[in-house]
Amino acid sequence: MTPSTSNVLIHDTETEEPTRRAFVLSPAWKVSLGVTALAIAALALIYLVGDRADSLVTQAIVTGLLLGGVYALASLGLTLIFGVLGIVNFAQGAMLSMSMFIVYFMVSTFGMNTYLAVIVTVPIMFGFGWLFQSTLMNRLSGDSGHERPLLVTLGLSLLIINTLLMIFGGRPLSVDAPIEGSLRILGAIADYPRMIAFGGAVIVAAALALILKKSPLGLAIRAVSENNEGASLVGINVRRIYALTFGLGSAAVAVAGGLLTPFTSLIPSVGDQYTTLAFVIVVLGGLGSIPGAVIGGLFIGLLQTVGSLYLPGSGSLLLVFVVFVLILFLRPQGLLGAKK
Amino acid sequence: MTKRILSAAAIVVAMFGVTACSTGGGDTASAADTIMIGSVHPLSGGLAGVGGLMNDGAKLAIEDINAAGGIESLDGALLELIDGDSQGSAETGQSEAQRLISAGAVALVGTYQSDVTQNVASVAERAKVPLVIDVAVDDKILSQGYQYSFRIQPDASSMGQSGANELVAMAAASDLTINTVSYIHIEGAFGGSVFEAFKAEAEGLGITVAKEVTYSGTNFSDATTQVADALTVNPDVIVVTGYFPDNLLVAQAVKAMSPDIKAVYGIASGAFDDSSFPTSAGEAASGILSANYHYSATSDRAADIRTRFEAKYGKAMETSAMLSYQAVEVIAAGLEEGASADPVELRDAISGLSLEDPLLAFKGPIEFDERGQNKNASVIVMQVQDGVIQQVYPIDFATADLVFPTGQ
Repeated sequence: MTPSTSNVLIHDTETEEPTRRAFVLSPAWKVSLGVTALAIAALALIYLVGDRADSLVTQAIVTGLLLGGVYALASLGLTLIFGVLGIVNFAQGAMLSMSMFIVYFMVSTFGMNTYLAVIVTVPIMFGFGWLFQSTLMNRLSGDSGHERPLLVTLGLSLLIINTLLMIFGGRPLSVDAPIEGSLRILGAIADYPRMIAFGGAVIVAAALALILKKSPLGLAIRAVSENNEGASLVGINVRRIYALTFGLGSAAVAVAGGLLTPFTSLIPSVGDQYTTLAFVIVVLGGLGSIPGAVIGGLFIGLLQTVGSLYLPGSGSLLLVFVVFVLILFLRPQGLLGAKK
Repeated sequence: MTKRILSAAAIVVAMFGVTACSTGGGDTASAADTIMIGSVHPLSGGLAGVGGLMNDGAKLAIEDINAAGGIESLDGALLELIDGDSQGSAETGQSEAQRLISAGAVALVGTYQSDVTQNVASVAERAKVPLVIDVAVDDKILSQGYQYSFRIQPDASSMGQSGANELVAMAAASDLTINTVSYIHIEGAFGGSVFEAFKAEAEGLGITVAKEVTYSGTNFSDATTQVADALTVNPDVIVVTGYFPDNLLVAQAVKAMSPDIKAVYGIASGAFDDSSFPTSAGEAASGILSANYHYSATSDRAADIRTRFEAKYGKAMETSAMLSYQAVEVIAAGLEEGASADPVELRDAISGLSLEDPLLAFKGPIEFDERGQNKNASVIVMQVQDGVIQQVYPIDFATADLVFPTGQ
């Protein structure tokens, strides 16, 4: 592994020697396999000696995985934008709300199918993110400090939430799930809308990984994320890449927000509840790592719901933060993050 | 050193003197024309929707009173509402209350949230200006021995207590026996105090609270595990206390699991009797019972106010906004009764009021006990039937027949 790697967008294997790739697992793979094995062992232990009804534990695991998928989905945009632009996007939650309300608007005004509305929201949010970065944020890119971009995203967040409040009011709104009902898995309930959101997380993560790995745009993005000066020397328009990346990140947020709408009460601040955990997941998974966000999301979702069997109320959230601090202590770069 | 203390004391005395003068002076000067009432609600932030409705409710009350000739005993003095925005935070609510009082408000209404109300009540107490609480359920607010705070709605523990009584009464009326319940509630003062009061009362009535499941108010986006947990003891009824988004999740999870229970029963639930709940929850809302304070759906006066509110502001008038309207009426009645716009005299007048024809569904007039709590406040039970929220119990307030068991 090259020690200079600052952000890893796909995986550590990217920087691995090709000859070694076939035989040796990269450290990141080892970590994720280790985490999975540990999680399975812990769950098996809970089944065997956990003193809770098996059906309840199964339910907690199913709910946890589905919830984790939702968390991962909400974190993907954040990790991409951080990985390339180095910006901690404080408007993440507000942008989630914004995409939910765009979906709501299209469903309630044009009677559009909710999932069709999600697809329409994606280019809208891409345009929004692209425009925001190219007109406003790029002007701040010369700054040495992190404060100004950070404050600008914070400002954007307030602007979005209050605009939504002005247009839609603060009463809880809702959209219909075109596919309702639920599936029984080993006696546990899994909602179709949540399963679709889970599927969305997998698709978005795979699509982002593919774009970054296979497309010329992805190559340019990775080049800029590795070294923006070097990238500009070989003729890459860094500002354009920044704008496109913010657009891509916003498109991921659009999918997340859109797929959350069928099972969420829409109020302008609704995105906020996902933001704190999204930050935790992104840091836990490794800043800028897309598989890290997926694994981190699933891990946190499981920890929260299975934990709630033993620690009621906010106890399970407390558990999440305790484990988070522990992991950062043992592996400061996050689960799949590259060593600095 | 002594000098410094003395001068500080002098400043304090001077300040008090000035305040005293200004209230005294303001009173005589403004009594003839307009009397200011301060309104503190969350007008921005996450609760801005409901806060705005409540502010509109108070505004409509002021307009109605003025249109009817103002305060008769004060030569037809007109009322004026001045707005304060708590932004949903206790500190901001406190400073807004102070601002409104120094701007000349002789009474306050507010604030929707218990912690904000707590702070505003202490400001009102210090400034000797009456606060009529429209919505805030926590028992603690009125247990401080405050003289200047009044509450129209039932408090948390009386809601839990009468919630238990109504459940038993409804079961008896439907020839059912309820032996065990599971209780799912939000953690914290609100959920905890309603639960404790319910449990104490229910166990006295022979109901076992077999399971208590609590959840955090933040980062709660799926209630399936909590509902599954509540169902492990095979309860007859699932009782729920919490706010809109979380109670909606509970209803959806119950629907998905289609358990063999007799009812889902909310006590002080922020969702189950909210007019947007049937649309939000769809099928999952059907049959759900909710014991809560509620605007009186059988009162013609309340119906007229709701119609005009909706025509004017384009939104349904929720119970919270009706309570703001009622709170302004309480202040107006106090002004009328006491024939004075002096806050201290107004306080005395309010404490002795007996206001007939309340806009909320409870028996008897609005009368305050020594804590400032409305003695006659009680809950009524509502049920979602065919996508509409109906009052079903007690029968005096019923707009539809109770369906029990509810068919979850």
